[in-house]
Amino acid sequence: MTHSRFRSLALLFCLAASSACRGTDASPTGGVVVVSSGADAETLVPPLVEGSQGRVVTELIYDKLADVGPALNTFGDVGFVPKLARSWDWSRDSLTITFHLDPGARWHDGQPVTAYDVQYAFRVWTDSAVGAVQRAALAAVDSVSAPDSRTARVYFRERTPEQFYAFTYTLIPLPAHRLASLPGAALRDAPEVRSPVGSGPFRFVSWAPRTRLELSANTAYYAGRPRVDGVVFVFAAQGATVAARLLAGEADFVEQLSPPDFAQLPRDGAVRAQPYGSLDYTFLLFNQFDARDAARPHPIFADRAMRRVLTAAIDRSTIVRSVFDSLARPAIGPFSRMQWTADTTLTGIAFDPSAAARMLDSLGWRDTDRNGIRERAGRPLAFSVLVPASSRPRQAAAVLLQAQFKAVGVAVTIEQTDFNTFLDRARRGAFDAMVSGVRTSPSPRGVRDWWGTPGPDRGIQNWGRWSNAEFDAQLDSALSAPRVEELRAHIHAAYQAALNDAPAIWLYEPRFFAGVHRRLTVRALRPDAWWSGIVNWSIDPAQRLPRDRRAPATP
Amino acid sequence: MPREIVTRLLHAIAVCAVVATSVFVLIQCAPGDPFATALDGADVPPSVRAEWRARYGFDLPPGERFVRWAAALTRGELGYAASRHRTVAEVVGDAMPRTLLLVGVALGLGFAAGVGIALVQTRHHRRWQDRVLGALTLGGVAVPEFLVALLAMTWLGARWRLFPVAGMGSLGDAGAWPLWERILDLVWHLALPAGVLALAVASRVARHQRAALLAVMREDYIRTARAKGLGEWDVIVRHALPNAIGPVIALLGLALPSLVGGAVLIERIFGWPGMGLTLFDALLARDYPLILAAVLLATVLAVVARTVTDAIAEYVAPRRARER
Amino acid sequence: MAASTWRRLLDDRAARVAGGVLGAAALAAVLAPWIAPHDPTLQPDPVALRLVAPSWQHPFGTDPFSRDVLSRVLHGARVSLGVAAGAMLLSVTLGAALGALAAVVGGWVDGVVSGLVDVLIAMPRLLVVIALVATFGTLSPWWLVALIGGSGWLTTARIVRAEFRDHLQREYVLAARALGASRWRITWHHLLPAVAPQLAVAAALALAAVIPLEAALSFVGLGVQPPLASWGNILLDGADYLTSAWWLVLFPVAAVSLTVGSALILADRLRVAIAGEEHGE
Repeated sequence: MTHSRFRSLALLFCLAASSACRGTDASPTGGVVVVSSGADAETLVPPLVEGSQGRVVTELIYDKLADVGPALNTFGDVGFVPKLARSWDWSRDSLTITFHLDPGARWHDGQPVTAYDVQYAFRVWTDSAVGAVQRAALAAVDSVSAPDSRTARVYFRERTPEQFYAFTYTLIPLPAHRLASLPGAALRDAPEVRSPVGSGPFRFVSWAPRTRLELSANTAYYAGRPRVDGVVFVFAAQGATVAARLLAGEADFVEQLSPPDFAQLPRDGAVRAQPYGSLDYTFLLFNQFDARDAARPHPIFADRAMRRVLTAAIDRSTIVRSVFDSLARPAIGPFSRMQWTADTTLTGIAFDPSAAARMLDSLGWRDTDRNGIRERAGRPLAFSVLVPASSRPRQAAAVLLQAQFKAVGVAVTIEQTDFNTFLDRARRGAFDAMVSGVRTSPSPRGVRDWWGTPGPDRGIQNWGRWSNAEFDAQLDSALSAPRVEELRAHIHAAYQAALNDAPAIWLYEPRFFAGVHRRLTVRALRPDAWWSGIVNWSIDPAQRLPRDRRAPATP
Repeated sequence: MPREIVTRLLHAIAVCAVVATSVFVLIQCAPGDPFATALDGADVPPSVRAEWRARYGFDLPPGERFVRWAAALTRGELGYAASRHRTVAEVVGDAMPRTLLLVGVALGLGFAAGVGIALVQTRHHRRWQDRVLGALTLGGVAVPEFLVALLAMTWLGARWRLFPVAGMGSLGDAGAWPLWERILDLVWHLALPAGVLALAVASRVARHQRAALLAVMREDYIRTARAKGLGEWDVIVRHALPNAIGPVIALLGLALPSLVGGAVLIERIFGWPGMGLTLFDALLARDYPLILAAVLLATVLAVVARTVTDAIAEYVAPRRARER
Repeated sequence: MAASTWRRLLDDRAARVAGGVLGAAALAAVLAPWIAPHDPTLQPDPVALRLVAPSWQHPFGTDPFSRDVLSRVLHGARVSLGVAAGAMLLSVTLGAALGALAAVVGGWVDGVVSGLVDVLIAMPRLLVVIALVATFGTLSPWWLVALIGGSGWLTTARIVRAEFRDHLQREYVLAARALGASRWRITWHHLLPAVAPQLAVAAALALAAVIPLEAALSFVGLGVQPPLASWGNILLDGADYLTSAWWLVLFPVAAVSLTVGSALILADRLRVAIAGEEHGE
């Protein structure tokens, strides 16, 4: 009866807590939240969205069937919050989940949200003419049927602990009555998707790409209208400008303040920094293979002992404090502390420069010509570190790494490239080492994409081509473990295997601080989606501004 | 004159073809593609990447892509900007008016201010006015523009809140304001970006104009004018300026096209997404239809600007002969 | 005739001061390893000593990595001025050669060169260089010299072409031709020396254009690679701390502005000296 463990009492819990899980619990306050952002969405077509800003906007316009709860659990359906689906039940063999749609759920044009919309969305996500970015997440889903207009039944090919999460987190029901007549390929830029009609708490109003995007509160929202009247996103490519807008009072909210922004926060408390967890972690990745000849092992990093020595030479806490002050923590391993599967009991390689120096001596790397750089067989101990020019913290980390490596006789050159070149070289394996960053999802599945042995089902993003059988096996066992305790045990073993093998130096995990203007009250910000509680945000009516006035509604 | 324009246009078209081809080759050689960052996610399978490439024809050999692009161009189609999920015409149609507004205002202001400064400097040649203004205009050229922009944004915008930090208009119900209020709002938002750009233009114009004026002031007909008993201002403004302004106008004609794409950092810092920023992003995204369109536009603009400024210069210049 | 122009320049106080500033900057660049108080890449304590305000120990303060800003500005002069000088030489040589070719050969060569100049001058130089940087990947200072220099020959080519065409009509050239001197002999012995002052003006202007370009390139993260210091990347480090660590911005900007300003003054005074020559003053 393992399948019963996938079910949960979350539903009952949520019903008891009334609408708090879904909609608002208080009266509207009015006002418009202005969010200052560094990047715009590229598209508002949900299956084609990849960037974070695109996710923000589409998830405000469109609701999912159910959403991850505040604990970010992805196992079974524990803690999941009902959205368009008011409830769901599992078949005995856990291969079928039946979603019961909320009868009040309406598209912004007034049409009811139906099971056909779920069916249609599944068709879109799996249509190769559309090219849905997250299609792989739905690989385990066989089909979706609609026994009646308010019941959607999802059939799975196999049973996995995260099947509920994978389906509900990825698939966004789309308005079939508006889009179904379009061929898949036309979905990218049809007028219907340029001004989207969704089912979520906010309606689309207007979009001037790279300038401004406006949403207004959906007063007919089935879970209770948002407390504010609308959300406006304003964009600027320069990081300093994004923060300056908040400091000048032109915006109410910035998703993430950078360490230099903190020095600028006004003393009168007009802007406060609200901490929340992040799912990011950054690491120095070693390429296991030669940068010039992908078939040959890397002359330095193919050797496990060498990777461990280099790791021991790095003082991560200094890097963290220099770049972030207290706004980050040293990373532990191939995961984020915010994931529910995070493991803080692992044994890492401790910082010990003198031991590292001794080890390098014993490995034959000695500074024979007294130039400060070690050699072995006439070859200097040198490598390059690839960094994207778009990330200031990663560049700073590279400069600090360079100095620390130099202290033990290792010569590092930094190669800063634009992001496109960075990705291209990463994919081709044309690098020695690189400062890479990951924004994980709440699920531990991503670990397999980043660190699994490259192959058809894993390791898509494993640019260093590190391969460890123990790690792969333990991770596989974890991801199919029927019980949470088993999963944790396997995850622990997998992570420990990774740490022992040192495929990378895990550098830092930033702590995010949102910048929030005094007039705005926000609820707890979820690490994977700060906007998830936005229906409950409020603006102090005493601190209204002229920009809160809305233009008379056009029908 | 018309014949000259036609030859110049033909030249420009020929050169354009060469430039477009080399730009295309350059972009082909650059690593990466328009989908690299869009499909950056770890869970994006290679098959999706292949589908996206096929969707926009990136799976075709480069030669064929270029021929297709050129063929579409002859039909008046600029192609599709894959990195923006919009047609090139839409992207450029959004960005170009913003840039023309920003650069137009900055050039107009800068030109007027620059000529004015030069006149004052010439009138008070080698006196303190000349020296102070000279130092200021030298500073206006010597201090990097992006730094002035950053300082203006931080202090005039964020700290002292005299002007908006960024953006092109007020939020809220601004769309429903009466026309003149909307224009005022636009001017208020233009103040910092156009001001910083105008400062740079004014400094350059003033330095050139002053040199040109001083050169003219040595000519015989100026002495004649003075001998006629005209006031010094009259001599400078009515006699010297018309003969000295031609080269400066020509200079502006040269500067305009490169300013259209060259205000990247100003556009970036003040959240004014015009052609410069569009081209910058397109370069980083290797979005060749967008890049090529911008290059072609700049060329057309260059030809137009040169023709117009030449015509103006020719209109202004004959007075010199008359005066003599 | 050019010799008197140079003499006139030497008599000009403003020109001497500007030349002095440029000379001092060049000297600082050459002597940086000996006069810099610290190793420009040394990070004594990147946590406790970061962003320390100017003091006797660090007259220009420290940067976010606790490195000494004075030493970085001095060493930055090596890179910034070196790149600028190299790029300037390359662009002026290239421009002079192409401009001369266009004027002397004329015909279709002139058409091609003038056409290229007409179109390329419409391309924003920063973006041209960024396109080249993106294509060729990473950047050593030598590549920067090639890319920046290779994109800057247009104005010089225009000036040289115009000057050459002017001189080609003058009597002394016509006389030399009548005496049977070849085109290249005339170019080398008469035309080039005649336009040398103009070339010097172009060179000074090129220098003034290249230094801010390097800074702007660094500002978007595609300039000189760390830990090598350049005025541009010191500025980039400082731009984040505009309101909290003024010393990170002030000193590199002062360095950039002083050299650019001096180059501009030099170009101005040269022009005046040339004009004085022509007016026979």
